[in-house]
Amino acid sequence: MKDSVITAEMKRRELKLWLVCFVIANVVNWCSIIKFATPWYEIFTQVGYVVSLSLVIYALIALARIAWWLLHYTFRK
Amino acid sequence: MNRKEFLSDCGKMGLAGVTLSLFPWLESCSPKAKLAVQGEKVRIGIIGTGSRGLFHIKHLVQMPQAEVVALCDNYRPHLDNAAQYYPEAKLYDDYRRLLENRDVQGVIIATPLYLHAPMTLAAMEAGKEVFCEKSMAYTLDEALEVYNRRKALGRVLFIGQQRLFDPKYVKAMQMIHEGVIGEVVGVRNYWYRNNNWRREVPSPELERHINWRLYSEYSRGLMTELACHQLQNGSWAMGQLPEKVMGAGSLIHWNKEDKRDVYDTVSAIFTYPNGVNMTFESIISNKHFGMGEQILGTKGTIDLVTAMHYTDEPAPKGSGMHQFIEQIERGVMSNSVFAGTSWAAESSALAPGKPIMQDVKVVSGESSVGAEADGSKELLEAFLHAVITGKQPEKVLEESYYATQFALLADKAMHENAILTLDEKYKVPYEPLK
Repeated sequence: MKDSVITAEMKRRELKLWLVCFVIANVVNWCSIIKFATPWYEIFTQVGYVVSLSLVIYALIALARIAWWLLHYTFRK
Repeated sequence: MNRKEFLSDCGKMGLAGVTLSLFPWLESCSPKAKLAVQGEKVRIGIIGTGSRGLFHIKHLVQMPQAEVVALCDNYRPHLDNAAQYYPEAKLYDDYRRLLENRDVQGVIIATPLYLHAPMTLAAMEAGKEVFCEKSMAYTLDEALEVYNRRKALGRVLFIGQQRLFDPKYVKAMQMIHEGVIGEVVGVRNYWYRNNNWRREVPSPELERHINWRLYSEYSRGLMTELACHQLQNGSWAMGQLPEKVMGAGSLIHWNKEDKRDVYDTVSAIFTYPNGVNMTFESIISNKHFGMGEQILGTKGTIDLVTAMHYTDEPAPKGSGMHQFIEQIERGVMSNSVFAGTSWAAESSALAPGKPIMQDVKVVSGESSVGAEADGSKELLEAFLHAVITGKQPEKVLEESYYATQFALLADKAMHENAILTLDEKYKVPYEPLK
């Protein structure tokens, strides 16, 4: 079995991807605040839910990437 | 006793948070007040040693300030049974002989309803302080006579309305008076049982003697035996007295088995001057709903029996994110509706509610004798305290008086098929308990 190497470039890319997910989760929070007319301080008080949502989005994207990688690997053979 | 001490004592009684000025009659139950009369003893005579009399005796034996010196009953098995608890007590089969006993300071009367007023009057005239079971009297006139005579003689007189001393009722009433449920807009009382209300009779000639509750010659039935307790809730919560009463009563089931002539099904509506209605319903051939006493307000409901508070106001909806997630959940989880009801009752009855206090003892109302932790013991202690101090607590007798009068008036309304108001001559000064 070969050693797996996670490069600094890969780490930076994943971190950027999660940051995009975090921004999307924040946008969802803002939209919820507007839609349900709840107080704006929820931008801060709901940050736990925002982080959780960002991780869920990140995980969904990861699943899509794995699926894409599997398909790509299968047809390349 | 200062306010801080009283609040501390209330906490020990299970009444933490109750305000002294609202419930002055409870002061006698506090450890501080008990300390003030420590070492004192009240020599008690008990007239009527049946089931309810025995219930009191079982409490009295636990109270160092009570010494039962005389027992009276004209049914020997009951008297002998009671004598086991106080073998030194003198035994009587005629209450008048007991009242002649100068050693007796106070009497507890637990006899059939029709005897309450004559015995109370005789005891007060004989110089005794009196605790009489509810209802106060068999007729409106008798109740007034008892009330006026007590006032003239300056005796201590307690009637067995124990809810005034039940911690969960006290706490609930404070919440109601503080406006927790908003404006009171209704009072619902019901008491359902499924039993024939009979006691075992050793020989037929004792039928009326033992089952006096079933015959109108001795009792007013469900109104004086059950409703009297619950009607008092309305006055306590509303801080006023009903203006008029209507009702319907019938014998629908148990008369098929015996010759009773008091109703076994009753419904009554009491209307207050502000238009609010208080209802009482009792059926003794179905027990599904048991006993219930509910004060309905514009902002919520308090169930006095279970000591639960239900709010009518919508629960906070949560943050925007919560609502958004719930909306997605509803969209994903809900079934497609292609047939079903187009109308649903607007109801908060299924809301879980919150207990108004901890360690609540819920009474089912099934027992015809009494239940533990329903305020009876505290009421008895308050009576003993009043005998020792010679001080009649304020307001409580008036509550008992009007509970009796309105129970009797409702019974009258049922028999006359009429809407009745309490005649001016029966009105005595009334100060609300709030």
